Parts: sequence; structure tokens; C-alpha cells
Amino acid sequence: MTAATETDRALVDRVAKGDRAAVRLLFMRHHARVYRFVARQTGSEMMADDIANEVFLELWRQAPGFEGRSEVSTWLLGIARFKALSLLRKKKEDWIDDEAAAAVPDGADTPEVVTMKEDKAAALRRFVDALPEEHRVVIDLAYYHGQSVSEIGEVLDIPVATVKTRMFYARKKLGEALKAAGYDRGWP
Amino acid sequence: MSAAEKMSRRDQMETLLPFYLNGSLEGSDLEAIEEWLASDPAALAALGEAEAEFSGATAANEAIRPPADALSRFAKALDAEAGPARKPAGSSWLAQAWGRFMAVPVGVAWAAAAVLLALVMVQSFVEPGGKGNDFEIAGAEDDLAKMPFALVKFKPDARMSDISGFLGSNGLKIIGGPTADGVFRLGMPAANAADYTKQIGLIAAQPFTETVIEGRKPVDGG
Repeated sequence: MTAATETDRALVDRVAKGDRAAVRLLFMRHHARVYRFVARQTGSEMMADDIANEVFLELWRQAPGFEGRSEVSTWLLGIARFKALSLLRKKKEDWIDDEAAAAVPDGADTPEVVTMKEDKAAALRRFVDALPEEHRVVIDLAYYHGQSVSEIGEVLDIPVATVKTRMFYARKKLGEALKAAGYDRGWP
Repeated sequence: MSAAEKMSRRDQMETLLPFYLNGSLEGSDLEAIEEWLASDPAALAALGEAEAEFSGATAANEAIRPPADALSRFAKALDAEAGPARKPAGSSWLAQAWGRFMAVPVGVAWAAAAVLLALVMVQSFVEPGGKGNDFEIAGAEDDLAKMPFALVKFKPDARMSDISGFLGSNGLKIIGGPTADGVFRLGMPAANAADYTKQIGLIAAQPFTETVIEGRKPVDGG
């Protein structure tokens, strides 16, 4: 447990006592990551804005019940995930036609063509973006959010073995996409 | 047998590499990865590939920019949920500090920036629980009240993620503010006057810092 994590928990304790300054500090510390997590999940920055705000209001409401069994960041991402899925279910038909559709790769360029225009790093970023959501989210949670296998299981509400399986297939797909684009990395 | 259990050793190691890179691996998984990295020539190349993925995922996430006014809007939503915040009472300490702050000869541009910052970023951020002291955070402990601090104003285009990253990596804390004019009180873990001066210089050197002025200094030998 890091000192920063302990401070997060201390802030949640203060939030539980009604301290608004503490919830604003937690907002400043975690909002960008929560926002990006939801934006990546939904493909909509507008939804990310609404949901990220709701996540911190939920923190305000639920702080008295926070038992500290998980890291505060994991807890917040779990709330964000739940809210995003709920909202997606409600709004799926509305947003899929515009914002999300614009975010989906159009398939006009094959990986080879794309890579002719980009270097490997840019290609890799594009391939990460193009992964199916269930694979991309474990990549994001591990690489960007620094979550452990068990924490990802908690955020996504899936078993640890499933986290590993999804990570395996996510990385395998990235390797295959790179290979198709001319970058053979030796695995898979 | 699960899919994970059917993986080859290489598959298992490749699956664990992201968690090795993010520092969350422990126990037998960590030992297995370290043994693999030490014994298999292909492992270091695989680690390099995972690092490239790390960079790609980070870049893809950081390309998404949260709105600059998110904190301001959240504070309004919070006030709507929890009830209106109390405006802070006046304080001679603040008046003196603010007088010194305004005396900094950075001219009209600074004043315009201050107004912009106040409008865009922090206008509604008054401390709700203060008891006669504009900067005290409600519920703050005694050690916070005695902590060395500086008064800092951030640039209007400062990004919250940059500021919070800087504060976190240097052990600095926002322990008060902002005032209606956008001045924060930044708690500093300085053990002595030399540390304090060094930290003031570090804050002043940040690209997002508009102005920093000295507040309470640590007492050497005290």
C-alpha cells in the first residue's frame, strides 16, 4: 500500500464526515482517469463527462459505506464501469449512430496501408483503439490505470482467470495486427 | 481445465507481462516472470513489445482531454446535492497576503489571467466549512494548520492532470483555497528553510504556475 493510497482513504474518511473539500481533492486526483476510462468505454466524451461527474457524486453519497477493501481508484473505476454500462443500455440506440459510429474504424485501410502512413507506435495505438471493448478495457486498466489482475476482476466483475484470458487474447490480437502490418514480434 | 490453464508457458508469461510492467505482480507470478526474463533470450524482446503496448495504450488514453471546467461544474452539482456552500468570512491574514500577491509587478496580463482563471476554473470554489479562516479546509487536522505553505495561482490554461501529477510526485497538498480570485494554499512538506526555498523554486518553475508567493516557512531547529 502506498502513501498516496492511504491519503486517498483518509480523504474518503473525511468525505464520509461531510467534508466537501476532500471530495474535491479526490476529484482533482482521479477525475481525468475516470473520465478517460468512461470515454474509452462508451466512445462518447459527452457521456464520459456526465458519468464521471456522477461517479464523484456517488463517492459523496457512498463514502460512509466505504470499507477500504479495495483501493479508492479501483472503487471509483468500478462505479464508473457500472454507470457506463447502465447508461449504454439506456442510450445504445441513440449514440451508436453518431459518435460511436464515427469512432469505429471504417475498414477503408488495411493494417498494411495504415502502417505505410504511420510508424509502429502510431500503428500500435490504432490497434489498441480497434480492439473489441472487452479486450481493450483490460489493456487500458493494466497499462494506463495500473490495475492488478485482481483489481481488474473487481472493476469488471469477472473472475481473475477471465481477466488473464482476456489479456491473453487482447495481446494476441495486437500481435497479429502488428504481424499483418509487417511488424513480426515473435509472438503469437 | 480453463483457457488460462491450457496456455503454454510462453502464453502465460506474455499474459503476465503487462502486470509485471505496471508493478502489480507479486508472489509466484512475479518469480515466474523474473525467472523467464533471466533465462529466455526471447523474453527481453517480449518485454520490449509489451513496453511499446504500454506506450500505445497510454497515448491513446491521454489523447482524451477532460473538459477544463469539469471541477467547477462538479462543485456546483455537489452543492446542489449537499446544500449551498457558505461564503468564507473575511480575514486580515488573507487581506495582507492578497495585497502582497497583487503587488507582484506582472501587470494587466496577470490581472486578466486571474479573472479568466476565476471564471473558467474555480469561480465557485469557496470553502464550505471554514470557521473564520478563508483557507482552512473543513475537517483539516492540526498538522495541516501548522504546515509550511505557499500561495499559488495557476495559469488559466493549466491542466488539472498536470497539477495533480506534480503535487503528488512532490508530496505537495492543496490545503486551502481557492479564493474567489483563484489563489490556492499549497501545503509543503519542507523540513527546514532551505527545503522550503527549494520547493518554492520548483513550484515557480512549473509551466502551469502563474505566480507563487511565500507563506508560512518552517522553523529551523524548532
